[in-house]
Formats: sequence, C-alpha cells, structure tokens
Amino acid sequence: MYRPEVMKRIAWNRDVFTFSRIVCALTIGFLLLPLLVLAAYSFNDSRTMSWTGFSTKWYEKLFSGSPDLWRAFRNSIVIAIGSGAVATAIGTLGAIGAARYRFRLRGYVQTIGFLPMILPEIIIGVSLSMFFAGIGLKLGLFTIFLAHVSFNLPFVFLLVSARMEEFDYSIVEAAYDLGANEIQTLTLVVLPTIMPGILSGFLTAVTLSLEDFVITFFVSGPGSTTLPLYIYSMIRYGVSPVINALSVLMIAGTALLAIPLRKFLKDFAVH
Amino acid sequence: MSFGDFKALDDVSLRINKGEFFSLLGPSGCGKTTLLRIIAGFENPDEGLVNIDGIDVLPLEPNKRGVNTVFQSYALFPHLSVFENVAFPLRLRKTAPKAIRAKVGEYLELVQLVDHARKKPSQLSGGQKQRVAIARALINEPSVLLLDEPLSALDAKLRQHMLIELDSIHDKIGITFIYVTHDQQEALSVSDRIAVMNGGKVLQCDSPYEIYENPATEFVARFIGETNLFDASVESVGGGRASLSVPGLGKVLVETAKGPAPGGTAIFTIRPEKIHIDHERPDGGRSDLNVFEGVVEEPIYSGFQSKFFVRCGDATLKVFKQHASYQEEGPDIAWKDRVFVSWSSDDGYIVGPGSDA
Amino acid sequence: MKRNLGNLYAGPMILWLTVFFTVPLLIIVGFSFLRKGLYGGVEWQASLDAWKAVGTPNLVAVTVKTFVVSMVATVITLALALPTGYRMARSKRQVLLLLLVIVPFWTNFLLRVFAWMVILGNNGFVNDILLRTGLVKSSLRLLNTQGAVLLVLVYVYLPYAILPLFSTIDKFDFTLLEAARDLGASKLQAIVRVLLPNIKGGIFAAFLFTFIPIFGAYAVPLLVGDMNSYMLGNFIADQLTKARNLPFTASLSLLVTFVTTIGILILMRLQAAPERSAEADAAIAADYAAANGNGGR
Repeated sequence: MYRPEVMKRIAWNRDVFTFSRIVCALTIGFLLLPLLVLAAYSFNDSRTMSWTGFSTKWYEKLFSGSPDLWRAFRNSIVIAIGSGAVATAIGTLGAIGAARYRFRLRGYVQTIGFLPMILPEIIIGVSLSMFFAGIGLKLGLFTIFLAHVSFNLPFVFLLVSARMEEFDYSIVEAAYDLGANEIQTLTLVVLPTIMPGILSGFLTAVTLSLEDFVITFFVSGPGSTTLPLYIYSMIRYGVSPVINALSVLMIAGTALLAIPLRKFLKDFAVH
Repeated sequence: MSFGDFKALDDVSLRINKGEFFSLLGPSGCGKTTLLRIIAGFENPDEGLVNIDGIDVLPLEPNKRGVNTVFQSYALFPHLSVFENVAFPLRLRKTAPKAIRAKVGEYLELVQLVDHARKKPSQLSGGQKQRVAIARALINEPSVLLLDEPLSALDAKLRQHMLIELDSIHDKIGITFIYVTHDQQEALSVSDRIAVMNGGKVLQCDSPYEIYENPATEFVARFIGETNLFDASVESVGGGRASLSVPGLGKVLVETAKGPAPGGTAIFTIRPEKIHIDHERPDGGRSDLNVFEGVVEEPIYSGFQSKFFVRCGDATLKVFKQHASYQEEGPDIAWKDRVFVSWSSDDGYIVGPGSDA
Repeated sequence: MKRNLGNLYAGPMILWLTVFFTVPLLIIVGFSFLRKGLYGGVEWQASLDAWKAVGTPNLVAVTVKTFVVSMVATVITLALALPTGYRMARSKRQVLLLLLVIVPFWTNFLLRVFAWMVILGNNGFVNDILLRTGLVKSSLRLLNTQGAVLLVLVYVYLPYAILPLFSTIDKFDFTLLEAARDLGASKLQAIVRVLLPNIKGGIFAAFLFTFIPIFGAYAVPLLVGDMNSYMLGNFIADQLTKARNLPFTASLSLLVTFVTTIGILILMRLQAAPERSAEADAAIAADYAAANGNGGR
C-alpha cells in the first residue's frame, strides 16, 4: 500500500538536493569566501596574516595616515564621473542615430561600438599607450580620462541600443504629428523613454571606470594615480593591512549601493 | 497537495474508466490543474495515491508514467521544427530513423499538419501549434492523455473547431483523455463524464446530462449553465411533492425526487430555458404548474433566443425563450409588458439545504 | 519624408572611437612592420623582425600555454556558472542570489585578487589553519603557482559567466522542461536536448565574456603566478615597459587580437549553424508530404 512518508522523502530529494542547488550554493560560497576572509583580517591586530587579536587600528590608519590613498580615490571619482558622463552623452546619441536612421557609416558605428568590448583590455591599453606617445601627449589624468571614455562608450552604446530595439517609433511619429520639432522630440519623447537604458549605461560606465586597472596602468603617468593603481602598488610593493580595511569598506560600499538597487539588479544582469 | 495551510486538493477521489473522455471542470484555483500535474508527475501530493492500470505511479518520474500532456501554452520546443517536435519522444528512445519518419508522418497526418513539417513553431498559427502539441503528446501512445486547458489560447471560433477535432481524435485512437477546463460549454459538449471541482474538492462527478439536469450543489448549478437560485423554506411535503415558500416570490411546488429531501430550508433552482413566458395566463387546470405574474424589466434579443428579466413581486426571474419559428403572429414580448411565467413542478429542483444550514 | 540625421547623431561617436580606437589599432599594425628603435620607439624602416619574433619556439610555447590555460579556466567557469545561473533563474529568492553574485562582482578586481593572496600566501589563511591544526609542519607553497593562477582566474571571471547565463535562462520557459520530461526525457536529457539549445546565446556570451579577458590576462598571473605561469599579456607588458620593443609589442598585441577575433567568428558561425539532422529530417518529412499529396498512403 502507498505510504505517505515514502512520498515525502521523494519530494524532498527532488526539490532540495538537486545538482544545481548544490553547485549554486558552493559557487556562491566560493564567491563570498575571500570577501569574508578579508573582513576578518581587517580586524587583526598583527601586521602579518597570522591572527593575534582584535583591533581597529588599520581602520584608524586608513582614515588618518593615508593621504595618498585618498588623493587616488578622489582622482578615481573625478575620472569615473567625468568619463561616464561624456561616454553616456556620445554613446546615447550614437545609439539613437544607429537605431533610427540608415546612413553610410552605420555599419562602421556598429562595428566600433562592439569591437572594443570584445578585445582584451591589454590590447586597448597598449595601443592607446603607443598612440599617446606617438602624438606626444603626456601621460597623466587627462590621458586616463580619454582612455576611459573610449572603453566606456561601447557599453553605453550597447545598453542604449538594447532599449532602442524595444522602442515604439509610433510615439515619435505622434510627437511630430502633434507639432514637435526634432529637438523637442528628442528631449521630450525619445530620451525620457530610453532613460532606464541611459542610466544603466552611465552606472555601468562609472563602475567600469572605477574598477579599471589594466588600461589605466598603460596610459597613466607619474602623479596620476587612481585608486586601482594605488591598490596595485600596495599589493605589489609592501602590503599593509590598511588595504584589508579599505577592502572591507569598499565591499560594504558596494553592498550598500546594490541593496537599494536590488530591483534593478535583474536589468543589470542582462548585460 | 497543500501549500502551507491552504489545501490545493482535499480528499479528491476519482475513478476514470479506460478510454473515457473525462473532464475536470472548475474555476481557476479550484485545484484541477494541480490534480493534472500530480497525475503527470510534476507535483507531489502530501499524501494520496495515483493508480494507472493498476500501478501506483507516484514514485515514478514524469518520464516513466506512460502519461502525456498537452500543455496550456503548448510548450513546443522553439529550437526544433514541427517534425522534430513530434519526433522528440522517438529520438529519446533511439528509434530507427526510418521508423521515426513513418510514425511522425502518421501522427502529422492525424492532425493534418504534414505540409508544415519543416516549419518552426514560431511560424505556426495558434491552432496549428495546438495540433503539433497533440501529435507530440500522442506519439508515445500513452495510456492517458492529459489536456491542460488546451483551447484557452484560441479564439472562440477556432475553439469550437478544435473541440470537434479533439473529439474525433479521441474517437479514433480510443485512449483515456483527462481534460482540464474552466469552460463548461467545452466540458459539456465532449465529455463522457465531468468532475466539477471547487476549493480543492470534487463536488460532483457524473455525465454531462446529470450534471446539468441534476446538479448536486448550489455551486454546480450556478457554475454549469445559467440558472435562477432562491433561498426557500419548506412548508410541507407530501405526495412526492414539496411546497416551498420563496421569500419575495411566493409558493413554489417541486418534486421531492429532484434533489435531496428538504429539511427546514432549501435552495431552489430553476433553469431559465425551462420557464415558459407568455402574455396569457397558462391553463390553470394543472395542479403541478407554478405560475407567477410579473413585469418584463429587461428583454435581451440575441438572435436564436431572447432573454428576459421578469420581476415577480420582490424576486427577479431570468427566462430564456427560443425563437423556434418566425414571429409574425402577435406582438413580441417587450419592455414593461405584463407577463405570466410558469414551469412544471418537475422542472425545478432543490440543490441542497439552505445556506444557513 | 524625415530627414536623415544619422550622421549628426552618430557623428561624435564616430569621431571619438576613430581617434581613440581605430587609429591606435592602425598604429599598432604599422608599428609591427617597423624596426625597433635603439632607445625604445621605432625607426621608420620596414621590417618583419617583430613578426619573426612571434614565431620563436619560446613564444609559440607561451601562446599555446595561454590558450590552454584560458580554455581550462573558461570550461571550469562555465561548468560552475551554468548550474548556478539555472538555479538562480528558478529560485524564488532570485534577488538575494543576484545580490550575492553582484557584490563580489562589483568589488574591486585587485582587491579580489588580493584576497586570494591573503588566503593562499605562505603566512596566509590556509597555511595558518594547516599549521595550527598540525596538518603540515611548514607552510605549503600555494601562492605563485600555476594552480593559483587558474583558481583566481576562475574566481574573477565567474560572475561574467553567471550573469549572462542567468538572464538568458530567466527568459527560458521552464514548461518546456516539463514537456520534455512528460515526453519521456530523463532530467539530463531534458537539460541537454531542450534547455541547452534554447540558451545557446547565453552560453556563447558567457564563453566570450570569460575566455577573451582571460586570454588577455595580465594582472592575475603577475600577482598570483610565478615566472612559469606568465601569460601572453605579461609578455606584451614586459615588451612595452621593460624591453621597450614597440614593434614586438605591436605584433604580439595583434596576435592576441587575431586569436580573439578568430574565436569570436568561430562561435558566431557555430551559433548560426542549423542542426543538421533536424534539417535533413525536415526535408524527408517534406518528401513524405509530397508523396502523400499525390495519392496518399
């Protein structure tokens, strides 16, 4: 005869211990483990990686004894917002143009709007480095800015283009029909409609810029240190536990940014 | 099957005969789809037994049950052609290509889709997708075919047509069909038997005729077809007939054979098409006739019939009148007309004790 | 008739990327055919030296090694990302899981690498535990090994694979899996024959997003590898910053670009290719139809 408890066991097996559940749990654990280790060591009293006791001294040192770090941080922020804004403006216009019109250079726009994204970063870094040297531009914050706009542009273009694909052109015709001119149609109808795409483009650009190390490494000069470059030098030439404290704060910052944006995370994942 | 405290299915017990066209009918959320998914193996009940041909299939995976499903959304594989969709089960069993060709051809012919074999599902119309889904579900020669609201995505005309086609496929291959629907017309017209469900329970399981003519509960009466329902109190019982007092309407006679033996209160129901409507008072000589005088409040002409809402005292009766012949003789019944409505005592019935019982 | 304003809209983008992407790429192509200058830079003299250098056994070995490491890392990454993305898409707690993937993803790349240096270092987390529990007598060399490079590459690029897979699988109609099971497929068959073909796009995207950056990896081998685990990216950087051999840097960069592009083209071709057996059978079915039309069975 049929026994309910047998059925329960089967249901349990089917729903909980599936292969994908186990892999997913392990993978997410794997992704989080290093962050937790960093967090733990940031409160370690010792300079070495061996645990000796609880202390917040590295946090104090981060805030009071690391002026270079904060200068690098400021550089990063300025470049991220500046390059993000420029890339967003240029990329959005490009995406609108490529989606709405057929013109001679459209194929070229779509190719150069795609290629930089799929080439390894080091190639972009090396080629820009040679280019700047070739035209005699002194490597510094300005060249970093130019490079960041360049690698951010394709991402903005892609994200806004995706929005334009779903765009209902009848509203543009409606706007013309109701007497709007090109500029009014653009600012009152097109841009507000694709605003989510523009915003995610801008946020992606800012994130990528803040994050970039490889390209920046090749186009930076003396005195133009960004946060990733500073972190790199800390890791490479003299590890101080201050970096642990910094990591924890940055991870916390990321999480704090991600939580209010959680409704949009799914959109974010699409790219 | 229960979700938390909510029971999706509660003490459901059905015996479905071999080769039967069996319908599970009820409003959305009544548990009919859950029941179907349990039979198919996509959900597991907390307790219970599903027996097919004498085998308890509950411990079996869905692919081992000898049961196939026609999904509500069709669930055609978008990356495969019509041919490959239908061939899918055979490919899984590593059937020889030659045999696959022959059998898929046979089933595509059954659903009249041979000409579309090459197409991808996205190139098909709703009705064609439906047919692919049916052919695909049948090719395994299941002992039971489950159909989950298969016609709900089609428009009304096509639905009628597909229904007839489904019925003829059923006649041709003769396997058991379990058909889930919320559409009582669909269920009435093709089923051998219908189980009417609500709130996770089976309220009545019977032939379409019995379900319509002799509903077991108020819900069934209400859900199947249209009807007039009244709370009534039982005045007297005698001679195989009960005399009910319907507030606002008056005294109503009903055969006690129709419906459960009345207690103190009862729910009385009369189908609108069983009520006769006329300007003249019907023959008063019949003692079994219920006659009320009223005013037509709202006549609705709909071609083959007219609907009237007739106000009798404080009650309103819905009445259907078939236009069997050309109506030139005499004026039609119109708005505000004073009319007589009448029905025989064996046309109404009692569908259970009063709602307070 | 609307005016064609395409050039106007796209103008700034065309200009910007031409100057800062196309021209630098062309410069690299040009440099690769020039002679190395005495003190860095180039001499304006045509030469194939830089391309000949690409063919030396040492470099061929580095290239092959880079390719193999990238392949292995990508396959491991996808093997983890596919079930993870699937589970996330089916989960009721999608947002939480996404958050748990995105937070490490948004955390600075170098800090994530650094975290593994802390974990694997000679005085690091793992060795600390091993020594304290007495499992080993002296610390193991975990950092600066090929294994460490592979591990950290997988770690760093996992989110790049999980996210596109998740978003593709999230759009997948899971009823199709039920249909496959219903029609007789085992769980594995349903995944292989129905899920995978329908999320091909996501798999290719995940592959590209992992393989390409790993193939051009620079920082990871530099920080957690040793001399033996250097990859092409490290070679290029050394040629640029240490040897100051611009033509050789250029030819190596073009080599990487070339391999990447070939990879992309192959994947695109694969993705566009119809399933041969399905096509063939459809043709047969059409024959059957024709035969039936002329007189039936």
